[in-house]
Amino acid sequence: MRLSDCLAFAHQALTRHRGRSSLQLLAVAAAVCSVLLLTALGEGARRYVAAEFAFLGKDLLVMLPGRKQTTGGLPPLGASLRDITLEDMAFLARQLPRVRLAPLVVGNSQIRQGARSRHRPVLGTTMTFFTTHKLRLVAGSPLPDVPATQATPVCVLGAGLAQELFAARSPLGQWIRIDDRRFRVLGVFHSASSNLGWQLDDSLLIPVGSALALYDTQALFRLFIQARDGQPLSPLAQRLEQLMRQRHQGNLDVTLLQPDAMLATFSDIMATLTLAVVGIGAISLLVAGILLMNLSLVSARQRTAEIGLLKALGAPARLILQLLLTEALLLTGLGGLLGLAVGYGLVTLSGWVYPGFPLAIPPWAALAALACALGTGLLFAWLPAARAARLPAVASLRGRL
Amino acid sequence: MRPQDGLAWVLKALSRSGSRTLLSALGIAIGIAAVVTLTGIGEGLRGYLLESFSQFGSRVIAITPGVSDNPASPNGLLASSRPLRLEDGDWLRRLPHVQAVIPVISGTGQVKAGRLSRDTSILGTNHEAAAGWRFTLAQGHFLPDEPAQQARPLAVLGHTLAQELFAGQPALGAQVRIGSWRFRVVGVMAPKGQFLGFDLDDMIFIPAGLAQNLFNREGLMELDVIYDAQIPTQVLLGQIDQRLTQRHGRRDFTLYSQEDMLGSLDKILGILSLAIGSLGTVSLLIGAVGIFTIMTIAQQERLTEIGLLRALGASPGLILSLFLAEASLLALLGGLLGLLLWGLLALILHGLWPGLPLDWQLHYLLAALGFSALVGLTAGLLPAVRAMALDPVAALRDE
Repeated sequence: MRLSDCLAFAHQALTRHRGRSSLQLLAVAAAVCSVLLLTALGEGARRYVAAEFAFLGKDLLVMLPGRKQTTGGLPPLGASLRDITLEDMAFLARQLPRVRLAPLVVGNSQIRQGARSRHRPVLGTTMTFFTTHKLRLVAGSPLPDVPATQATPVCVLGAGLAQELFAARSPLGQWIRIDDRRFRVLGVFHSASSNLGWQLDDSLLIPVGSALALYDTQALFRLFIQARDGQPLSPLAQRLEQLMRQRHQGNLDVTLLQPDAMLATFSDIMATLTLAVVGIGAISLLVAGILLMNLSLVSARQRTAEIGLLKALGAPARLILQLLLTEALLLTGLGGLLGLAVGYGLVTLSGWVYPGFPLAIPPWAALAALACALGTGLLFAWLPAARAARLPAVASLRGRL
Repeated sequence: MRPQDGLAWVLKALSRSGSRTLLSALGIAIGIAAVVTLTGIGEGLRGYLLESFSQFGSRVIAITPGVSDNPASPNGLLASSRPLRLEDGDWLRRLPHVQAVIPVISGTGQVKAGRLSRDTSILGTNHEAAAGWRFTLAQGHFLPDEPAQQARPLAVLGHTLAQELFAGQPALGAQVRIGSWRFRVVGVMAPKGQFLGFDLDDMIFIPAGLAQNLFNREGLMELDVIYDAQIPTQVLLGQIDQRLTQRHGRRDFTLYSQEDMLGSLDKILGILSLAIGSLGTVSLLIGAVGIFTIMTIAQQERLTEIGLLRALGASPGLILSLFLAEASLLALLGGLLGLLLWGLLALILHGLWPGLPLDWQLHYLLAALGFSALVGLTAGLLPAVRAMALDPVAALRDE
């Protein structure tokens, strides 16, 4: 029997029970579609968080004050017995001339311009922050290149905040109030990323010296260290710990985080989670497989006479098996394709409805879902098909099992 | 036809096609098991999170310095030019129905005892913290009630810290050093466990005023107001807001009530739990399609039988109920099988991850069974109506 005959036979068998076949098609399609959507959800979540981290770059280390013995938990929060200060930063800069250092002091302040007032995070830092955090200057100039300890009353607004405070007017050269002090706007920056639950765009930057004076402290909240020229990070982190220990009387009281490594760990966790969710989705494929097996059993029984005739005409058992399996594969293949189409359609649709959280189907998932559907067809149709193929010709012709 | 005859008829019909019945039931079973397991995980997770959030009591209002409309913003950790002070707490304590006001200033540092040392969390607070946050002591007593400015350098150790530093030796009365300061240990806490990845046992409690000196900080990170059940949360929120605004000259702080927080958390977790549960429903839906298909086939196969029944005087309603009974019995069988499957799965999951919260309640399981019967009833409706509408003469002639 040629392939085309085989297909024609299967087609005929499937169209004979239109309702039954289409229900089965639907079941496979629903299962494939649900697997696909769940994968897309997991992948979307992973990409969403990855994008949040992306601005920090692969060559960045973050130093924060404090250290905890228990590992694996949260990084140390709050105050520390010994702060990281601008003097520490100057010391590190002398010892490691090849790296970039950006200090960060974060405060929560009231920002006023005319009658408008907002409560927003104020970031005290230096010009280097523009490089380490990939900020784009939209207008004016960045923070002045002055010694870090110098307090200058100037600021650079995030584009979102500039819009809120000045609407369409140009903020350049204007004065704003941060709590009780006056600052002149030097420029406007834009950044798509967020930090500490805030869009960076909704905050503003002032020189680190001004921030320390404003909040009456000498403690840095974070110190960002950017390696240059593809310098490996782990030895750099060790060297930094060594230097800080030396500077803090032999006590290691800072923690170094590697955002890139954290992101990698997070990606792994998300991948495992996605796999688990997909596994749950695959249960529906199992149920669809059981349905297929059930219907194959029924249809093999109803077609006993037909199979007997084929056998009487000289068809070997292998051919019968092949015919019935073709039928199952055709059904699950079509169902799988339908599921893929609906899945991709829904994902595209959600991209329009929720542009902020783009779902994404990784290419491997589509192929795997289709392969799983075909595999299910083969697996669950095998038993009924094999049983039908083994029937003795005479008994089957008589229409009895 | 008597009910028991009808039942016998249905049972015979089901057992006649054994493997077919079993497979259809299995489809439903897997669906039900998936729904029950997933809902159980979702509900268990919700219960676990709510419990860990309410372990500090639910009648708590937290005040943090700085204004923020974003609940995710770590207010207390950010610098503020208008700090929250210990005196603010004393002022608020005079409000009626306020039971305690607990200051919080936290950080990390090295604690030394003899030759042992440990990097740990340091929490500056007052005498009301243990009762207010529902911590229990294993030995000694908590920080004494002393004015913040004259507080003696006394400390209470968390369970883990006490073990790490004293390893079985008596800790009470011993000296520990934090930086260049010496503290005398007056108490050791009972184990409390973890809270969102934060080890509540690896911690030392010291008076808030001393912690401010130690960390060289002027302000507090948080003030927790504990209040009795006589006053509605919203009323007290309003009073605190008014008092503190008046005292500071402007509103430069943020208030959160634990009640509101728990409420919104419960809502989010409820939606999540529902979403997880509905993941399983896809399988159940496909199982229902299976029952529908099988019942359709059964109806077509039994044309003669139906015709004969009708010819013998069976009413169309009887045929309908026979078919519906068959479908729902099939699904119910699936439901039972599903619960069996779920029990097995729960045992395996519990063996693999004993920590995984698998919540289950009897009414859930009964609801699952009822639901499976309903699925069967719905899926079997169309074939049953078709069987009922058959013309007996035509059905008989089909032979």
